[in-house]
Amino acid sequence: MAVFLQQVVNGLAQGGIYALIAIGWTTVFGIVGVMNWTHGEVYMLGAYVGFFLTTYSGMGMVPALLLSMGAGAIIAVLIDQFGYVPLRKRGTLARSGFITALGLSTFLRYSANAAFSADPRVYPALMEYHPITLFSIGGTAVTINSLHLIILIGTFIIMVVLQLFFTRTIIGKAMLAGSQDMKTLALMGADSEKLIKITFAISGALGAAAGFFMGMLYTIYPTMGALAGLKGWACAILGGIGSISGSLVGGVLIGIAEALTSGFVSTGYKDAISFVIMILVLLIKPTGLMGYKFEEKV
Amino acid sequence: MKKIHISLRKPQAGELKANRKVIAVCVVLAAMLFICFLDDFTPSGRVIPNYFKYVIVVSLIYSVASLGINFYSGYQGDTSLGHAVFFGTGAYVTAYLTTQFSGINFWASILIGMAFSAVLSLPVAWAGSRVKGSFMVVITYGYCEIFRYLAINSNTLGGTAGMAGIPSPKIFGVRITKIPWLPSNKDGFILILMAIVGFLALFTYRIVNSRVGYALAAVREDEIAAYAMGVNVKAYKRLAIITSAVITSVAGSFYAGFTNVADPSLFGATLSITIFTMLVIGGRRSISGAILGAFIVVICPELLRYVQDLIGLPFDPWYILYGLMLVIIMRFKPEGLLGTKES
Repeated sequence: MAVFLQQVVNGLAQGGIYALIAIGWTTVFGIVGVMNWTHGEVYMLGAYVGFFLTTYSGMGMVPALLLSMGAGAIIAVLIDQFGYVPLRKRGTLARSGFITALGLSTFLRYSANAAFSADPRVYPALMEYHPITLFSIGGTAVTINSLHLIILIGTFIIMVVLQLFFTRTIIGKAMLAGSQDMKTLALMGADSEKLIKITFAISGALGAAAGFFMGMLYTIYPTMGALAGLKGWACAILGGIGSISGSLVGGVLIGIAEALTSGFVSTGYKDAISFVIMILVLLIKPTGLMGYKFEEKV
Repeated sequence: MKKIHISLRKPQAGELKANRKVIAVCVVLAAMLFICFLDDFTPSGRVIPNYFKYVIVVSLIYSVASLGINFYSGYQGDTSLGHAVFFGTGAYVTAYLTTQFSGINFWASILIGMAFSAVLSLPVAWAGSRVKGSFMVVITYGYCEIFRYLAINSNTLGGTAGMAGIPSPKIFGVRITKIPWLPSNKDGFILILMAIVGFLALFTYRIVNSRVGYALAAVREDEIAAYAMGVNVKAYKRLAIITSAVITSVAGSFYAGFTNVADPSLFGATLSITIFTMLVIGGRRSISGAILGAFIVVICPELLRYVQDLIGLPFDPWYILYGLMLVIIMRFKPEGLLGTKES
């Protein structure tokens, strides 16, 4: 039991990171209707920005995190500007948006590979690393390490801010409305281009934050976005597309599922489990755990 | 009077196009045969490097895969990032059967691989009847990645290293790499694969211009309308994915037979994306486009590698250009290089 709980705790921080990626996916998917395949690359670039800030300018964790979130937002807006805006103007976004995203993501991934080299990098130690005992069962202590705890807290704060933004500000409400019916929202007088830009900025900031947290835990490398991006999708689908709390739940569940798989089945299948879950959810309950029924856009 | 009128009438636009196509096919065919047999007639050794022939064989193998995915992502119209499942299945079935049971010959293993792929395509068809669009993209992506992890973690399939030592196929008791009247060990493959690509092109052309092809077009354009017209939507979709899977599996078997190895990357999403983008670059629903796309995606990186060595670049520029190429094609010619415009 203690071993089981320990694995669950181990999966929590990873799950939080996946949840951040998942929200970035689902907001853009809801508003623009395109599977933004470049999201994994924004995550990777965010991790690299964080790496350069912490390594070369010796910044602390919080300012570096905020700055890399800003950089992620800018990158995502630029991706929209150069990749999707021309297609939106021509009205071919629905048909060629996905392949454009695929191309942009390949371009970004391998440009990063050329610029930063394929060698994995390690963040400097941003904080003290020690296990904290949560509770003990039958003499076996269940611990969480301080790094995981900080990442969980950081994820939680970002989620709360995001939830407040969506429910308390007019732009956030417009975004929620847009994810249900963009056309009608535009007819109501909302500036849809501006709304899309804000959506991309938020998505990019969240992706970069996820990348930064990932960098604190593991090594970073230019192709890290490919798998993580897809796992983000898996979490978004498990939680229900379009639901923020759903993404959090989905992320944490998949993080735990991964930890349990590597603990009890085999490390070799750790990365496969999220795909299995994703496919099962799509086939059994396509709206996910907390999603609402929505019309297919693409 | 009437006869003269007919013989003097202006050729129609469609006819001209058809004529041009026939000429293009003849030119390509002649060029291939020229490449194959040139070395037979040159007294002083090899003129065409073996490496060049290697690239052509790989291009032809991917042409088969690209023609295969054309049935699903082209004629049926759904994006698939999972065709590596069928490519890998073909390769692994051939690898396993020819190395473990030495009695089974290559050609039989192709057929068995086709059967396996057909079975593995059924879940995709089933999923396709429940889920659509972007979600189908991630389902197919996840599907092939799951198989990659299975192959990596399976000891019988050789784990990460895959299976090596697959014998080259024999034809009438002669190894295809050692046919005496051919100048190099690649020419046998080139000739056989050319025949297969030609057959598939004809097959595709015949299917598309038949009842089945029209039904697929109807399903692609508007599923509900097609259903209302009495088209059995589910059956035609299943037919498209099975055909597609079976053809892609043949490409996989040949890949294994040609390179003599099968490794887990043959199940990977990266390969799926490559196969899919071949079709997209060449043009969905275009037979010549599918073949052209495969040649572009195989030959360009080889050329670039040469350029890279020449100017001493520290990184491989291909993937960067490949991404850009996709973006540019989607912006200026979203139907692909040889595709026809949609209304």
